Amino acid sequence: MNPPFEQQVLDLLPRLRRFATGLAGNAADGDDLCQMCVERALANRRKWQEGTRLDSWMYRIMRNLWIDEARARSRRSQTFVGEDAGLSVGSDGAQEAAVELGNVDRAMQRLPEDQREAVLLVMVEGYAYKEAAEIVGCPVGTLNSRLVRGRDALLALLEEAA
Amino acid sequence: MTQVTKEELAAWADGEVTGTRGKEIAAAVAADPRLQAEVEAHKALKAQLSAHFAPIAEARVPDRFSALLSGTDAEQKPAEVVDFAGAREKREARRWIPRWGYFVGPALAATLVLAVVLPGGPDTLEDSDPALAMALDSQLVADQDTGGETRVLLSFVNEDDRYCRAFSQPDRTGIACRDDSGWALQLEMAGTRQSGTEFRQAGAEEILAAAQDMAAGPALTAEQEAAAREAGWR
Repeated sequence: MNPPFEQQVLDLLPRLRRFATGLAGNAADGDDLCQMCVERALANRRKWQEGTRLDSWMYRIMRNLWIDEARARSRRSQTFVGEDAGLSVGSDGAQEAAVELGNVDRAMQRLPEDQREAVLLVMVEGYAYKEAAEIVGCPVGTLNSRLVRGRDALLALLEEAA
Repeated sequence: MTQVTKEELAAWADGEVTGTRGKEIAAAVAADPRLQAEVEAHKALKAQLSAHFAPIAEARVPDRFSALLSGTDAEQKPAEVVDFAGAREKREARRWIPRWGYFVGPALAATLVLAVVLPGGPDTLEDSDPALAMALDSQLVADQDTGGETRVLLSFVNEDDRYCRAFSQPDRTGIACRDDSGWALQLEMAGTRQSGTEFRQAGAEEILAAAQDMAAGPALTAEQEAAAREAGWR
């Protein structure tokens, strides 16, 4: 007998929060994304098939939520007042924001969404290429090439920042 | 000599390629320092990223999640976050960190009618409001006294290649641009600032939307702003 659905989700939460933070770029946005994911999973729990992997199912939900959000955000923020400019509006805010994001976070945020999720799923979450490709919904070869492009971009950005 | 693509090499480094092909790649790597370096860089990045994100997975999960999952009946639980953007805005309102990027959007365009567009006249602020002119000349966004009368919100270059600065005062917000004779007010709006450190007064979002329309490019960075002040905003 498997543990109840809620308990299984609870057990996955540390990993889900990690993935959400990686996608969203900071812990606060990550937790909102994670909460949406849990709510979506609870609402759709009948669509999950017992015996299949709950983690892949939930990662897929989260990833799809994030892609929707990223699209909506790029529509909203067609603006010259970028994040950097906004943060310098108040010096208090700028300082808080500066400690929030380190080099790795900033470099990750500069990757295109498809490369970032490939890097996170394989290099942080430890998924095999095939599993990561299933979560994303792309062929394994595509996942492999996104991973390499994302990796090379990250290495260049981190070197630049060092 | 075996040809190994970057993709194949990454897959091999991640343990995805085994069997005969895996052995071929292993031999190619052993024979080629450049491939070795690439494998090393791949593994080092993987280790760095794992270490970077590990603390999140090790941290205690906030109570809001266990509360979400503790009930047996899904209907009893609060489903608060239904809209990501909404949640973000609520949270940021709480933190008092304006991220104008998210507020300044097409949706705000309609509110711009509130702004009073002043006719371009010969009057400069040096004549009509010397204190404001002085603040615009001297204050940098990143480095200003929060208790001051005037707070500069941001600086940018307009389409005529002039420097412009959006500012707020206790009772109004506005944008002024610098021409050869001095600072000229481009538009202003009534608004109130609640205290020295809270500058989300009425009108600020509209002013920033107006700045967006006037600007030829992104807002100046702190360095660009300092350089512009050095050059007398010309």
